[in-house]
Amino acid sequence: MRIFYLVKKEFIEIFRQKELLPLLFIAPIIQIILFGYIVKTDVENIPVEIINLSKNKTSYRIINRIKNTPLFNVKKISYKNRDSISTLKKGNIKAVIIFRDSFNKNKNILKYPEIQILMDGTDSNTSSIAAGYFNGILKKYILSDIEKMDKKLSIENKTLIRFNPALKSINYMGPGIVALLLTIVSLFLASASIVREKEQQTMDTLLISRLTSIEIYIGKALPIAIIGIINMSFSISVVMIWFKIPIRGNLFILFISAIIFLTAILSYGLLISTIVSTQQQALFFSWFSMITFILLSGLFTPTENIPSSLQFLVKINPLSYLIKIIREIFLKGNGIEYFYKDLLCLSFITILVISISISNFKRLISK
Amino acid sequence: MNNIIEVKNLTKKFGNFIAVNNINFNIKKGEILGFLGPNGAGKTTSIKMINGLLKITSGEILVNGMDANKNRKELKKIMGYMSQKFSLYPLLNSLENIEFFGGVSGLSRKTIKKKEEEIKNMVDPLLLRQNVKDIPPGIRQKISLFVCLMTDPEIIFLDEPTSGVDPEVRRNFWYEIYDLKIRGKTILVSTHNLDEVEYADRILILHHGDLIVEGEPGGLLKKHKKNSIEDLFKDAISNHEQN
Repeated sequence: MRIFYLVKKEFIEIFRQKELLPLLFIAPIIQIILFGYIVKTDVENIPVEIINLSKNKTSYRIINRIKNTPLFNVKKISYKNRDSISTLKKGNIKAVIIFRDSFNKNKNILKYPEIQILMDGTDSNTSSIAAGYFNGILKKYILSDIEKMDKKLSIENKTLIRFNPALKSINYMGPGIVALLLTIVSLFLASASIVREKEQQTMDTLLISRLTSIEIYIGKALPIAIIGIINMSFSISVVMIWFKIPIRGNLFILFISAIIFLTAILSYGLLISTIVSTQQQALFFSWFSMITFILLSGLFTPTENIPSSLQFLVKINPLSYLIKIIREIFLKGNGIEYFYKDLLCLSFITILVISISISNFKRLISK
Repeated sequence: MNNIIEVKNLTKKFGNFIAVNNINFNIKKGEILGFLGPNGAGKTTSIKMINGLLKITSGEILVNGMDANKNRKELKKIMGYMSQKFSLYPLLNSLENIEFFGGVSGLSRKTIKKKEEEIKNMVDPLLLRQNVKDIPPGIRQKISLFVCLMTDPEIIFLDEPTSGVDPEVRRNFWYEIYDLKIRGKTILVSTHNLDEVEYADRILILHHGDLIVEGEPGGLLKKHKKNSIEDLFKDAISNHEQN
């Protein structure tokens, strides 16, 4: 019963901070919508310039195909040679595609022109994707030529994409962003929780009350966990309604996984709060931790890209497990049998963090 | 009178820094004991060790015959503590603070309601509904003392309870302390204001963690042939610094 009064007090303190409320409940919704549109791995509208020095009809046909795809935005077509490097240096154009006639030994013009692509490699990701797109256009053109001659390639591959057939990056990013927002809100609130008591000198009064250390710990964590779960429910609704990403798996298991993750992240936040002396320090610690969690989570870049010597950091990062589980449930509709190992690892990390955090909290109050 | 608190060879170290250095004193039941000393003398540290908020480095504290270090849970029931800055939650109003502290101190809902009615007779109800950060320091002090006394503790620790309030509020506050003494409470009060110690039955002067003066204010003035506590205090500090 005593803990009820602490939980009530925590809620009042959070809800009386009028500046904080929009950040807690409105900002995450705005963020998820913004992130949904901004954080994309799809590459579209790549600005290109075409220099067509070929008199061959094929070059015109290929240029037409480039113009008609949403992947490229043809800014300019010129028929005279230009300094392509200075065009790329200006930065408005990401690729210059040059068509030249090719000749045989008898100096007759060949059917297919010579094509050169100059890419701006500063954004290596966009460049490699754009190059892939362009090769795809060429391949399709050549295949259609072959089909016109009633011929077929001896080997033909067909790719069937499951779970996200349109390869929309929002389907992949959206559920991950739900986990990200859950981390941000919970970590920042938890890390400020105990240190605020130290700053306003109410910690001693709290400690001299009849509350036990575990009651104080739970009383501090519970309101933030409730706010985190409410926030997560809003975020999932936005992902499902606004971005029309259906949840294919079991929502209940998703929430159970989220609660296990929340316990880990709140324990970590409270650990920060016991270590630091001011809320400013807590903010810095949380910010640094959050960036590390995100970079090692597989949210933006696949964790397989991380060097093997640093893979252990992924393995101890609770966010990496939640993001994986959320994607499994959301996109693949997988049941617990597909990710129980991840859930077990997440639970183990949670037990470890909560043990360290509670023992540190007990040490703080019995200095 | 019996000793309710016995402090024996009490020492507190923070790393290499000695905050309290091997001090000995007793507090009798129903006594007002004044703790005097400049900033960093060890007053708050001593109070926090006695009420169980800080672990002792060495020595012994007996409260009601029980080892304070080993019986924290039991002793919480008989102690009240009003810390510096009055330690109320600034974003809660006074009634919410009273409900919270009553609740976490194990009082029943009925008792808390009764306490809320009690405070409404002592302080303007409009002020009680304002967030604590917006009410005058004198009212905050009154609420803080009220909160400290809600569980009807036997021993009351008041850590610089009159800092930041005007002389009239201070005087009224001391009347309340006297009233508590009459009701048989034991009070340990630390203060910066030398004129206040005349209210205490006995005083202790601490400096750099050492206990340098102990006794009844009147007796000490006679013994050291001083006209005021201020002179006695200055003399004691200066002698201790020279040694």
